[in-house]
Amino acid sequence: MSAKLNTRSSRSLRGKIPFLDWMVIPTLIVLFLIVGYPVVSTAILSFQEYNLLKPNPPEWIGIDNYSDMYADRVFWVALTNTLIYTFGTVFVSALIGLGLALILENMTGRFSSWINAIVVIPWAVPFVVVAFLFRFMYMQNGGIVNEVLMDVGILSQPAPWLNSSDLALPAIIVANVWATTPFFFLVVAAALSGIPDAVLESARVDRAGIWSTLWHIKLPFLRTPLVIGSLLMVIANFNDFAKVWVMTQGGPGYSSTTLVVYVYRMAFENFDLGYASAIGIIWLILLLGTAALYIRLLLVRSS
Amino acid sequence: MTDITRSGFRAKSKFGKTGGKAVQYILIAIALFWTLAPIYWMLSTSFKSELEATRLDPTLFPEAPTIANYVGLAGSSMPFFQFFLNSVLSCLLAAIVAVIIAVPAAYALSRAKFRAANSVGYIILVVRMFPMVVLLAPLYLVLLNTGLLNTLFGLVVGYTTFGLPFAVWMLKGFIDAVPIEIEEAARVDGYPRWQVLLRIVIPLIYPGLITTGIFVLMEAWNNLIYPLTFITDINKQTLPAALVLTFTGQFKTDWGGMMAAATITTLPLMVAFFAVQRSMVRGLTAGSVTGT
Repeated sequence: MSAKLNTRSSRSLRGKIPFLDWMVIPTLIVLFLIVGYPVVSTAILSFQEYNLLKPNPPEWIGIDNYSDMYADRVFWVALTNTLIYTFGTVFVSALIGLGLALILENMTGRFSSWINAIVVIPWAVPFVVVAFLFRFMYMQNGGIVNEVLMDVGILSQPAPWLNSSDLALPAIIVANVWATTPFFFLVVAAALSGIPDAVLESARVDRAGIWSTLWHIKLPFLRTPLVIGSLLMVIANFNDFAKVWVMTQGGPGYSSTTLVVYVYRMAFENFDLGYASAIGIIWLILLLGTAALYIRLLLVRSS
Repeated sequence: MTDITRSGFRAKSKFGKTGGKAVQYILIAIALFWTLAPIYWMLSTSFKSELEATRLDPTLFPEAPTIANYVGLAGSSMPFFQFFLNSVLSCLLAAIVAVIIAVPAAYALSRAKFRAANSVGYIILVVRMFPMVVLLAPLYLVLLNTGLLNTLFGLVVGYTTFGLPFAVWMLKGFIDAVPIEIEEAARVDGYPRWQVLLRIVIPLIYPGLITTGIFVLMEAWNNLIYPLTFITDINKQTLPAALVLTFTGQFKTDWGGMMAAATITTLPLMVAFFAVQRSMVRGLTAGSVTGT
């Protein structure tokens, strides 16, 4: 990115370069007001005891919220669940999306464009709808998932999918994989079509088989897009609220509670803004680490 | 390219070729089933009566297809049309606001004639990745103090937190593709920079503006946490949030009605999606994937 910016600017620059361009100022002001200011006040709140249900005003308590968090079993459960949910979803959907793109790459004929259009449909289904749809399909009695699995003999009795503390999180991940796979399919398909024909031609001349073509020629071209796409989806799923909230509200117990659900509950059901803010800050730090990784990859990519 | 990949099959024996094709078709069939089965189930259920939708032995096709669920939405005690309108208005407004504020910033970043260009670019990129829930409590208090709670403008403020940084990066990708020589001709004619942007660049990236706007609209449409938090008056609620709120009441057992509402919620997003599908990857990964 920096390389690109520099070539742009060095071409027609004469004289003094200003520090800031007025054209970015509206964006910076808006972001400062609606993102910068809230983040700073969250950071301040995180060192305070501030509960909307209690009459007393905010009170400084130092790092108490953070030490509470360390001792809070539910926080660690939520963090673990978030990691399982995020990486489980991203890993499985990247794998399926990659496979799907490779299979469909060979397709020719009348139906191939139809198939390409169909497999991306789940991406266009709103998260809330995905959640309700799967919640309906996962119903213990009369749900289509149990019905089909029992008909083909995989299950002998209906499984309590979303009502079971062991099955709830994996079941939500499956729904999320359904919704996320098209993204990876699109990313890989775009990367595949970007491989120069000459490279593939030389593989053909060398009579390379499909597996060695895939492994030695195509995968190196797919690695960076896959890594960048995965990081983007890690960030998106870390923040995903709708699916978990609609399907289980984090239950049964805390078995499918992710950080975003926990923070939401703390802030808007317990009205414990101080503690919720402390969790938010820790989370922000985790995400910024991921974001730094993402930016470094972008830089490597463009230079 | 297709030819070459096919020749991979050709290099093998006759059996290997047909075997490979067969495996390929089976995998495609599985993929299509996996993709379409849930969608089919939503549509099919939406045409079933309440009783049939929750039968213990579900029917694959509606036994007595009925549009009662859709009619029911219109005549329900809940103002579904109002929810739909709220969603459309707030998301559309958020998209327009984000694009208008973002265009000059994207232009400045693309041409990068200022020293802080890289830092500003990173700041915007990082903001795009911020967890919304971190902003939730302070934003709630801000909206409360400015009287914007329970208004569509309050929602637009929320949507802008992710829509604006997203729009800046996506538009920068489109503007990068405009050759700088085209502008230089206009500069020679003495146009100030904002006029070059307005008269030369914007007409050239017009499709990019639409695409970016639709992407912001889609993200806003998907958002649940802001409307659930910032809107407490049910009449001002958005469609996705209203589904969640009414489910505990009206739809508790009425899955047919629920699936009809879900179908209606999906349709606008589906239309928007297929309108911009081609620019999808570039938009989502801010130009990093296809190497533009």
